[in-house]
Amino acid sequence: MDLQPRDLAEEIKHLQRCVNDLISVLALPAMWSGGEPSQIVHTLLDALLRMLQLDFVYVQLKKTDGQAPIEMVRFAQSEKHKAWPHDIGEALKSCLGVDPQEWPPLMRAPLGDRHISIVPLGLGLQSEIGVIVAGSERADFPQQTEKLILSVAANQASIGLQEARLRSEQKGVASQLDRRVAQRTAELAAANEELRKEIANRKHAEEDLRASVEKHRVIVETANDAVVSMDETGAILFANPATRRIFGYDPIEIVGKPLTMLMPEMMRKLHENGFKRYLATGKRHLNWQGIELTAQRKDGQEFAVEISFGELTSDGHKVFTGFIRDISERRQAEDQLRASERNLQMTQAELARVSRLTTMGELAASIAHEVNQPLTAVINNGSACLRLLANRNLEPEVLRRALEGIVADGTRASVILTRIRAFIKKEPAEKNRLDINEVIQEVLVLAGRELYENQVLLDHQLTTDLPFVLADRVQLQQVLLNLIMNSIEALTAVTNRPRLLWVQSRIDESGDVLVAVSDSGTGFGLELDRVFTTFFTTKAKGMGMGLSISRSLIESHGGRLWATPNSPHGAVFSFTLPATAGSTS
Amino acid sequence: MSGAPVIFVVDDDPSVRFSLKFLLSTVGLHVESFDSADTFLRKSPPDVPSCLVLDVRLPGLSGLDFQRELAARKIYIPIVFLTGHGDIPMSVRAMKAGAVEFLTKPFRDQDLLDAVRIALERDHARREQEKEVVILQRRFDSLTSREREVISMVVSGMLNKQIADRLGTAESTVKVQRSRALEKMHAESLVDVVRMIEKLKGPSGGLR
Repeated sequence: MDLQPRDLAEEIKHLQRCVNDLISVLALPAMWSGGEPSQIVHTLLDALLRMLQLDFVYVQLKKTDGQAPIEMVRFAQSEKHKAWPHDIGEALKSCLGVDPQEWPPLMRAPLGDRHISIVPLGLGLQSEIGVIVAGSERADFPQQTEKLILSVAANQASIGLQEARLRSEQKGVASQLDRRVAQRTAELAAANEELRKEIANRKHAEEDLRASVEKHRVIVETANDAVVSMDETGAILFANPATRRIFGYDPIEIVGKPLTMLMPEMMRKLHENGFKRYLATGKRHLNWQGIELTAQRKDGQEFAVEISFGELTSDGHKVFTGFIRDISERRQAEDQLRASERNLQMTQAELARVSRLTTMGELAASIAHEVNQPLTAVINNGSACLRLLANRNLEPEVLRRALEGIVADGTRASVILTRIRAFIKKEPAEKNRLDINEVIQEVLVLAGRELYENQVLLDHQLTTDLPFVLADRVQLQQVLLNLIMNSIEALTAVTNRPRLLWVQSRIDESGDVLVAVSDSGTGFGLELDRVFTTFFTTKAKGMGMGLSISRSLIESHGGRLWATPNSPHGAVFSFTLPATAGSTS
Repeated sequence: MSGAPVIFVVDDDPSVRFSLKFLLSTVGLHVESFDSADTFLRKSPPDVPSCLVLDVRLPGLSGLDFQRELAARKIYIPIVFLTGHGDIPMSVRAMKAGAVEFLTKPFRDQDLLDAVRIALERDHARREQEKEVVILQRRFDSLTSREREVISMVVSGMLNKQIADRLGTAESTVKVQRSRALEKMHAESLVDVVRMIEKLKGPSGGLR
């Protein structure tokens, strides 16, 4: 080629600049070392744009994992039409083709309102990394030197990007490794922690167990109750210190000996049999949680105890432990309480009886006095007449006056009796619809103590769904209580057969409510027809008023009260009351 | 001898009063009846053998209080008690206080008549005794003080000589005083006068 000196100098300058640029491009990798691909691309694009005075430079980096490619673009400072990297990519695709690998090495394409020379350069051997596209409006682009710089830069960039990718991959592997190591480490740490906790727990449990054993030992050693264990043969294995206080035995002296030595003679066989039966059948015949039994001290003294049993199987052998509490004081106190209760009740009963007797006695005295006056007069008058008659000295006028007196006094006595009856009836009965069974139950409760005290067995057959009766509750209670107390008194004389009391309620043939109180007591003998007579009594302390009053009360309710002998022993007192409409159910 | 005996019936019940009066009249007894203790006390004590038939239960003063009241007034009339209901402690008290009988109403007529008869006999005897004491007392009161002294010493068993020594007089003087005292007392012997003095000291009499 024919060159002018000025051209030559230009050429030299041009080449020099090219060499400089090449050196710059070759120096780029040093800047990139350890950098990210985006950083590499940035510096590359800036360098190319500046060196080659391009209008734009575009890069597209493929992503290995099939994601959208990274696109970047740089425009010259003067360039007025700036666009987004992706739009540039799309414009390039529309004029160069879809696949960058198929793009031609140089193309003059219309871009917007201008024609631009476009040089695509593959990155990597088969453009596997991506593509750089340099564009310039200059017609002479690319010159030889520019081609050289672009290809060197592309190579450099390929190498740099390849390294970066490699580094990134390594970094990924490393970080993955780190992550896995960290994860594993964390797992190990967790396992470790778990183990530590487990150990701590075990230690704690062991301590607890030790403390619990110690606690139990202290409890057993210091317990107020005797704690005695025995084996399957009935031999004592252990006895705590309280055993000495309660039984008088030193724990050492009874270990190995039969448990029965702590029981009174009469209970030993019973215990042995019961124990054998339990071992054979596993069936408990006693309440293991607190049973009251009699125990025997070393000195032979018997005393009341409350025992709870426990059973434990150790090494295939059964161990039985009894917790034995001395309740003799408690029992004593209970007995005392019962005795004083009984005393109180007896006193109350006595008081009630006395006050009843007093009232009755006063009433009787008053009746006696009131009636005695006219009776005395009648008898005196009569006696006087008889005397005069005997002496044949009875004048009619005297007789008339005496007889008048007798009639007047007889009438007076009758009036007095009427008045007394009116007085007795003065409290008007308060009649309500009553469930007779309810009244019976109330009275049985009242009589419960007497029944118990006199060892009377009570049996009641109360028919349900009985009709109501219209009656005064208190009066019915009095009648029932009277009949039951009579039976109890008749039963206390009985010693050779059970003392039985039956109370029955039912409907009788005429539809009335019938109540029967039967006993196995001494019965009436020949006096059956007299029991309802006022002041007739078979009892040592009786007033002979109860049954006659009871009969009047029942009759005032429109009912009947009668007695029949019971077979083979005793008496039956029955009364009826008219039923009213409505049933108790 | 005193006149016909009187039975005093005290009972608040008119029928009983009438019948008692009637009954007692059949054996010829004279009866006066009162409806309360107070009305009886207002009447002056009779001068004839008498007895009281008394109901224990009286309005106002009760029978037993009445018995005490009579004793306090030195009215020694025998009492037959009547009661509506026999009460042993009450009857014991009454009997201890001198009641003749304690009858429970109604009683057999004979029991009352027997009791009344016993009561009248007792009252008669008491009255006789009381009468004698009154006479003796009157005689005793007629003695001079020296004669009373002498007679007291004689009754206590002292000899004339001892009495003379004690009184500082002559034995012959004592003898005279003694025979005069016996004469005034209508005593026939020493034994007689001892008996008389004993009676005067007795329960219903007073040696004044």
